[in-house]
Amino acid sequence: MTVSQATNRVLGVERLAPGIFVLRFERKGLKFETGQYLSLGLPGLRKEREYSIYSGEADPELSVLVKEVPSGEISPQLAKLKPGDALNVSGPFGYFLLRPTIGPGYPLLWIATGTGISPFRSFARSLPETDYVLLHGTRSLEETVLSSGFARSQTVSCVSGSPGGTYHGRVTGYLSTMELSPLTRVFLCGNCDMIYDAFDLLQAKGIPAGQIFTEVYY
Amino acid sequence: MKYYILNLGCQMNQADSERIQSVLETMGLQKTDDEAQASVLGLVACSVRQKAIDRVHTKIHEWNERKAQENVVTFLSGCVLPADEDAFLKKFDLMFSIADLGKLPELLRGHGIVTPLSQTLPAGNGLDHFWNVVPQYSSTFEAYVPIQNGCDKFCTFCAVPYTRGREVSRPSAAILQEVRDLVDKGFKSITLLGQNVNSYGLDKPGEELSFVNLLTQIGEYGRSTGREFWVYFTSPHPRDMGTDILEAIRDFPVLAKHIHLPLQSGDDKVLIRMNRNHSMDRYRSLVGTLRELLPEATLVTDIIVGFTGESVEQFENTRLAMREFGYQMAFVAAYSPRPGAASARWNDDVPLGEKKRRLQVLTEELHLSSLEFNRKLLGRNLRVLVERQDKKAGYLAARTEGKIPIRFASSDLSLIGSFVSVVVESVVPLSIEGRLV
Repeated sequence: MTVSQATNRVLGVERLAPGIFVLRFERKGLKFETGQYLSLGLPGLRKEREYSIYSGEADPELSVLVKEVPSGEISPQLAKLKPGDALNVSGPFGYFLLRPTIGPGYPLLWIATGTGISPFRSFARSLPETDYVLLHGTRSLEETVLSSGFARSQTVSCVSGSPGGTYHGRVTGYLSTMELSPLTRVFLCGNCDMIYDAFDLLQAKGIPAGQIFTEVYY
Repeated sequence: MKYYILNLGCQMNQADSERIQSVLETMGLQKTDDEAQASVLGLVACSVRQKAIDRVHTKIHEWNERKAQENVVTFLSGCVLPADEDAFLKKFDLMFSIADLGKLPELLRGHGIVTPLSQTLPAGNGLDHFWNVVPQYSSTFEAYVPIQNGCDKFCTFCAVPYTRGREVSRPSAAILQEVRDLVDKGFKSITLLGQNVNSYGLDKPGEELSFVNLLTQIGEYGRSTGREFWVYFTSPHPRDMGTDILEAIRDFPVLAKHIHLPLQSGDDKVLIRMNRNHSMDRYRSLVGTLRELLPEATLVTDIIVGFTGESVEQFENTRLAMREFGYQMAFVAAYSPRPGAASARWNDDVPLGEKKRRLQVLTEELHLSSLEFNRKLLGRNLRVLVERQDKKAGYLAARTEGKIPIRFASSDLSLIGSFVSVVVESVVPLSIEGRLV
């Protein structure tokens, strides 16, 4: 994919849960492969941050899922954007790619915490026929709204901080109970602690490192 | 009027400096190594570590004290984090990114540095202009040729994507022309430079050569001239290193049998945290192919010890990897947070003493693997490139095609910059000694 750098117009900010919002903006012909990320900055603000693309490959606009960090340098500014505001967009970047892993007999397991669900939402929109199991971990029940667009039969919502969801506990708790085919391709996205714990569990279950794809959020 | 440039960075910064020098000399300024003699004082900065940034502050403070006494103009270029720009702009008279090098004469004119030549210099701008500036090479036989600028890999320990921006490939026609010119002028060692040299061309699919095609064209040119020279490249990323690149190195004698393959860590989980986007299995497979196709090549790496969160067990995996891959050289650094890099937001939680211990352990491993490799060279007749007088009186310092330092008894300074043959007579870790034949 050719990397482009442009100033795009904001189309809207949609609050999904406390401190979590979707930022929608013009696509301007940017091509990407589902799973990639963009670097976003604001004119005059000499900082950038990378965000996984939340929208699908065929969507007319681009969107990212943002967790607002009150002490952060970028996310509080993004939260204040209004339709028509300018946004510096460069990308796409990254190798968290679903397409090369799809094949008959290769089960797909997607594991996310919090806004780490973003690339999986893009996977599901871009390749809707894909058969997968999604484990989504959140601290609160309110955040389970992030997985509401996924097929219920394929989604396990793991809520650690309060009762509710499909499973009460961390995604790694649920993962430890699962039986996996050794051919499973596993995608992990979210905080590094979860990824490390899941990586160890997967290795113990016989999944080689080459079948584990990761995107660390920080 | 004289200028002085202080280069604080890597080979990329050296290549930048050589082009800045060229612009200044085209204006009619003369280089001096004594900054007290200079009216124009330039600094090519590095943002790799806080220590390097601190050096910029120290130096400009010194220069500004001098400025209070006499009329000097200061400028800053190189790798500067956007977040540091405002602070530096207050201290330096001028600051420009390397893509704006073409504006330097005009910027200096604005500060009263006017020469008869500078008034007629054509204005230029952008990376293409920068690349087309013929540099003032700092050596007569060794040159660095930038082939790309910027980086799209976003390794969490590195700030280059923020200081140099997105990966942009230099037009291959200009690279090939510069390489041909260097070869025709008798240069013996040419290093293609970029943050990810082997992703060269990926930003211009269908428009530009791939990295392997670029190497092939250089190899074919070398073959057609019949001249003896060595072409290196640095630094590649294991993710983009294909068998085709190793095959090209095997097939063309001018492509040096010296592979720089940064490992950074020998632990899969640390590689994940570093966002390196390859596994140890991938790296192991590459080294296996390398040993099969290029059994005599030297293998060189970069490693960071004490990266944020690196456990003793994870470090041990790196030590085992060093033993497994048997490097001839390794640039091992104790982790320090790079301001602006993603990992700077994580705790730097490995104590300094422990980082030093890990560094020492890997240094010992390196000595073992280097000595083992060097012992196999005993009695061999090697072509070497003579670089300078050695510290030992009556000796010259050279290096092999694989960049192993070698010295031999000779006081013939006319050999500097040429290839000679040397029989290896004794070896120690990281260097060898021989006899001129």
